[in-house]
Amino acid sequence: MFGSLKVGDKGKIIDISLVGHLVQRRLLDLGITEGSEVCVKCVMPFGGPIMIESCGQCVGIRRREAVRMKVERI
Amino acid sequence: MEIALIGNPNTGKTSLFNNLTGSYEYVGNWSGVTVEKKVGVFKNNIGHLTDLPGVYTLNPLSKDEGVVTSFFLNESVDRLLNILDASQLERNLHLTLQLLEFEKPAFIGLNMVDVANKRGIQIDTSKLSELLGVPVVPIVARNGKGCDKLVDVISTQSIQPAKKNLVYYGKEVEAAIVALTAEIHGKTNLSGRFLAIQYFEGNEYVRNYVNIIVGEKKLNDLIVNLESTLQTLYNVKSLANYIYQKRREAIEKIVVEVAVKSNFDIPLSEKIDMIVTNRFLGMPIFLLLMYVMFMLTFDWLGTPLSDALDGFLTGPITAGFESVLTAIHASNFIHALIIDGLVAGVGGVLVFVPQIFILFFFISLLEDSGYMARVALVMDRIMESVGLNGKAFIPMMIGFGCNVPGIMAARTIETPRERLVTILLTPLMSCSARLPVYALFVGAFFARNKALVVLSLYVLGIVVALVLAKIFSSTLLKSEASLFVIELPPYRLPQFQSLWRSTWDKGKGFVRKAGTFIFAGSVFIWLLSYAGPNGLKVDMDDSYLAAIGNMIAPIFDPIGFGTWQASASLITGFLAKEAIISTMNIIYFVPNDASLQGLLANYYTPLAAYSFMVFILLYIPCLATVATIYKETNSKKWTAFSMIYAFAIAYVLSLIIYQGGKLLGLV
Repeated sequence: MFGSLKVGDKGKIIDISLVGHLVQRRLLDLGITEGSEVCVKCVMPFGGPIMIESCGQCVGIRRREAVRMKVERI
Repeated sequence: MEIALIGNPNTGKTSLFNNLTGSYEYVGNWSGVTVEKKVGVFKNNIGHLTDLPGVYTLNPLSKDEGVVTSFFLNESVDRLLNILDASQLERNLHLTLQLLEFEKPAFIGLNMVDVANKRGIQIDTSKLSELLGVPVVPIVARNGKGCDKLVDVISTQSIQPAKKNLVYYGKEVEAAIVALTAEIHGKTNLSGRFLAIQYFEGNEYVRNYVNIIVGEKKLNDLIVNLESTLQTLYNVKSLANYIYQKRREAIEKIVVEVAVKSNFDIPLSEKIDMIVTNRFLGMPIFLLLMYVMFMLTFDWLGTPLSDALDGFLTGPITAGFESVLTAIHASNFIHALIIDGLVAGVGGVLVFVPQIFILFFFISLLEDSGYMARVALVMDRIMESVGLNGKAFIPMMIGFGCNVPGIMAARTIETPRERLVTILLTPLMSCSARLPVYALFVGAFFARNKALVVLSLYVLGIVVALVLAKIFSSTLLKSEASLFVIELPPYRLPQFQSLWRSTWDKGKGFVRKAGTFIFAGSVFIWLLSYAGPNGLKVDMDDSYLAAIGNMIAPIFDPIGFGTWQASASLITGFLAKEAIISTMNIIYFVPNDASLQGLLANYYTPLAAYSFMVFILLYIPCLATVATIYKETNSKKWTAFSMIYAFAIAYVLSLIIYQGGKLLGLV
């Protein structure tokens, strides 16, 4: 689960199907999908969004969506 | 020759467009700066270049992306110029492969090779060109490196159709492509393969287009069959996903051959991000930056400059006009028209040019550096709690400069509901045209806390917008769907030249408006104040202007400024907010702000002055903004709503401030 990753941790996305349809599409556009390696860059306070990095690009997504991704720590 | 410029968001299309056509379109370092197509002529006249909004794929999610798909379906284009971000080759190639399926001659500008090199990525352009079957030219669009070469290639290369079928989608899909192509054969000029693949991917625009020429039923069966075959054979999630995967496989093969990656240091960008998007520091840093921006605009730098300009306009310039008028023996009427009408009206607005340019400079700095997208990230939690998303903050920030581009920027918001709420609320952001009114009034009444009082107005605008967002999204516009995925571009050190360019671009509108709209308006207002029912050169209290003002003045009595002067300036303020100042300068009969400030004390109490500023902040958006709201929402109902609710909220708040203040014993 994404929830268990902390700032600086790296993981590999194994299941993204529970994430909202539109968010899934947009992440796919950015090349982030199952099999992508991501690194948590920062986490905003009060349940705010998180910033992840994948292939050298940084993307901000909401935590609500992030916790629905299954991620395997690497 | 018609050439279309297309690429992923924030890859430098508009920079290249400006470079190739010599135009100065709006550029910035965030995704979605360009929301409309723009056409320019190549410097060497080889044809027209159309700049399109950035897209990741031709299958659109938001309105600005839809612009691109419609362009491909409905307009004729001879050549495609595809811009790739060399540091994000994999992602960019998804779009390239779709473009090549369009089967028009294409060229690739490989942009940001410098950024890629810094990150340890080397790309073999000739190999890439060979694999894709189209010319590839490395460029750096920001400083124009390689652009001449690109133009050379575009104008001299013989037209060669792109290499066919770069991606093999598998036996089943290819068969379906052939079937669909046969159906539409001869009924359209567009590439059948392109239409078929986009159709399978679920591209709504293409589906509508194809359904009109073929009929939905037939194709629906084809798709359902194809999808179920793929599901049983390969256990895929959906047809769209299958196509994506096939494309990705093709891209991986290409990238392995053309790109070499080596290790690199942590980019500076990430180090900066550790601070500005820090858990605890993010919000305070943003507020501090805003504070510095306001202090510079209104206190440290802007006010001395404006005062100096004011001294120049009321001193040498006015004296110059006076002596010329005397020398040519101008009539009293002309003399009064020029000195009391034009110099007072136009000069009164021009005085604020320095402050407005400082504000625009800061907004350009935020946009160019890449900080804007971080602000959206930092603000998302707050925006989410009122039913919007962090991206809505970008139109609002731009709205501080001018509401019109702010409202246009709302196009990058994907969900229609959030976009509408953002459009409705952006006019509450205090634009630069409202700034002269504050500057005048704080100078007269709150000299000691200038920046703070003005800041309070800006904050009030934001707070009202947030509260209304919450109300609108829980009553009028209820919906669950929300989407927030934002790309955070690497920071860039803004170049002074491009900063100056975008500051000037934004600011020149203000100067131009002073020379045209305000110029004509000043003459008109002055005439209304000079003439009355009893003839010309009447006492101003007996003029037509006073008569008009007096009609509506009683409405404003309860909120502290029931004078005909205030009412008359509010009416002109609907045309353009800075017209309020020129009207006041004419009405109060003084050619400069310093004396106007002294005079205002006779007409307003400090409390009434604050109430007036709050009213100016919130009441009906200016004419240009209303027109933009209508254009963007395409709804008379919402346009009328945006005017009515703004007036109502302005009145109620001013009433609370004025009457409440009086109860508390403030004057």
